Amino acid sequence: MPGPRRTRRATDWQALLWLGPSLLLIGGVVLYPAARLVQASLSQYSVTGLYQGWVGLRNYARLLRQEALATVAMNTVVWVAVIVVVTVLISLALAQLLDRRFPGRRLVRWALIVPWAASLIMTSKLFVWIYDYYFGILNPVLQSLGVPAQPVDWLGDDSTVMGAMIAVGVFVSLPFTSYVLLAGLQTIPADVYEAARVDGASAWRTYRSVTLPLLRPALLVAAVLNIIYVFNSFPIVWTLNDRNPGFGHDTMITYMYKIAFKSSLRDVGLAAALGVVNVALILVAVIVYLRTVRWREAEA
Amino acid sequence: MRRVMPVLLLSVVISFLAIACDRGPSAKSGGVASIKVVIADYSKDNTRPFWQALSAAYTKQTGVKVDLQVIDWNSIDQQVTTMIQNNQPPDVLNLNSFSSYAKDGLLNSSEDVLSPKTRDDFLAAFARGGEYQGKLYGFPILSSARAFFYNKSLFAKAKIAAPPKTWDEFVKTAQKITALGKGTIGYALPLGPEEAQAEWSIWMWNNGGDWKSGDQWAINSEKNLQTLKFLADLANTHKVTQVNPGKTNRTDGAFQLFKDGKVGMVMGFSPLAKQLDAEGKVDYGTKFLDLYYQPENITRWITAEGFLPVTKSGLDQMRSNPKLKPYLDALPNARLVPTTDPAWDKVKLDVQQNIGLAVQPGGNPKQVLDQLQKNATTAGGR
Repeated sequence: MPGPRRTRRATDWQALLWLGPSLLLIGGVVLYPAARLVQASLSQYSVTGLYQGWVGLRNYARLLRQEALATVAMNTVVWVAVIVVVTVLISLALAQLLDRRFPGRRLVRWALIVPWAASLIMTSKLFVWIYDYYFGILNPVLQSLGVPAQPVDWLGDDSTVMGAMIAVGVFVSLPFTSYVLLAGLQTIPADVYEAARVDGASAWRTYRSVTLPLLRPALLVAAVLNIIYVFNSFPIVWTLNDRNPGFGHDTMITYMYKIAFKSSLRDVGLAAALGVVNVALILVAVIVYLRTVRWREAEA
Repeated sequence: MRRVMPVLLLSVVISFLAIACDRGPSAKSGGVASIKVVIADYSKDNTRPFWQALSAAYTKQTGVKVDLQVIDWNSIDQQVTTMIQNNQPPDVLNLNSFSSYAKDGLLNSSEDVLSPKTRDDFLAAFARGGEYQGKLYGFPILSSARAFFYNKSLFAKAKIAAPPKTWDEFVKTAQKITALGKGTIGYALPLGPEEAQAEWSIWMWNNGGDWKSGDQWAINSEKNLQTLKFLADLANTHKVTQVNPGKTNRTDGAFQLFKDGKVGMVMGFSPLAKQLDAEGKVDYGTKFLDLYYQPENITRWITAEGFLPVTKSGLDQMRSNPKLKPYLDALPNARLVPTTDPAWDKVKLDVQQNIGLAVQPGGNPKQVLDQLQKNATTAGGR
């Protein structure tokens, strides 16, 4: 009887019809470019971008010999770790605030979205001028408050560039993180709080023993997505760091761009190799993070 | 140490109009429905309208459609690289380098694509800058003269009678201006990555140094070391520059400060003069205007952008203007960066990214120059 088989085939075909557009999209904008990236990383290109042949893993070997790599990798660790930790901490407080009822809450919630809605390049340019030594408003404001005694060249002084960039990174990461955590807070049922109150738990105790554990899924999502976003963030570092020579304040992402187009290396193949390494790194980082978190969960 | 200060024209930076040959020289002889033209954006107001009009005229004349792309300087290298990587090279490309493209066999020489009349019209100095292995591949389209700009009001306030003529006078002048206080800056020195090779060239040539000596790179010569030390001293010993000159770009840094009236002296170029004139805020010395190439046609654009001509006929046409005479007389003797060496395309980026490190506090000019020299030599070898 061919009947049932035909039906099943028709179902498969129908499923494919429904899935088709998204499969095409994923194939076209994710898989194909990824394959091309790997292919490019195994090839040699001239300064002009002309393909010059297959070189196997030589680009990867050369990448490891780049003097700047250690500095850039360290910058990236600091950049990602500090932004994610600080963002999550501030967002916890913000989400708590936004979860309370107070007059004007809707306005505050809307206002929080603004840094998220604005284009990253615009925000970064804005901060370039805020930080500027001669034209910026940050120095006058700080000096009128009495700190510091001398104006600071925030984006030119080697000791302050990274901090200045991280501050912007935190600023633009806050809205998303706060909303994820706020959504998490709102899924916590009111009766567990009531139970805690009946048991006579203090506010801090309630927060630690009730809110935080129940917020864990939201915290996980916020942390993982932020790690990925922040690691891959290009516009902030690129815009705020564009006046600085060398690779002293680059992260893996801007370093990759500089290798391809801006430094004397001008090497698309080498940059592609770094691109592949970046993807691998972020995957490993996320897996390690998730493992660590689950392991603790099991222990508790 | 009596050295002549740059008071007028010092260097000329030219841009090339190169022809990519992948689709073959038959582009002109029919069979091609459209050509891809990629042009660098010199200014928002003038570049696109000019090339659009020219494209329309070309289409009308030949029936060949023009796919015109105007791309800003910050991303043009990236976009052109991507086009070539994907085997979709432009047919006509406007860029500030050409020799590595010629080396890769991507360009047509002038013999194939230019009439002898046009070819012979180029000023010899510029044509030489477009040659690779004896053939002309890079066709100059406009030139821009760097000049010394000074703020007349600040000079008057500091009781300085005339612009400095030697490096010693230069330091003293800068010190007097800095001494005015209120954040006044003697000399704005942009050695950040944007355009460091241009600022460096001016000072290097002014001291009698050069990029190459004969066929060899000579970036770390005694003369150049002396120059870079002098620049580092301006920043760190005399403290007459803006803060962190190795980390200041030209457009949003040095020029911005000069336009704001905070700076006594700066190495500017003709488009800066246009902006200053438009704003009318700063009373500055060394004014100059503009112009160009195939007599009527392109002169309009060059005039609008504020650049200078690259052809003999363009030069002749502009000579009647007495204001421009000093610049034009100097043009045939213009000095060019070594664009004809394919290694230059890497050396330029290396200098942009790294020379600023030398003038930072604690920077080491000798080490920076030695490294640049080493990289240039290796780049040439590859």
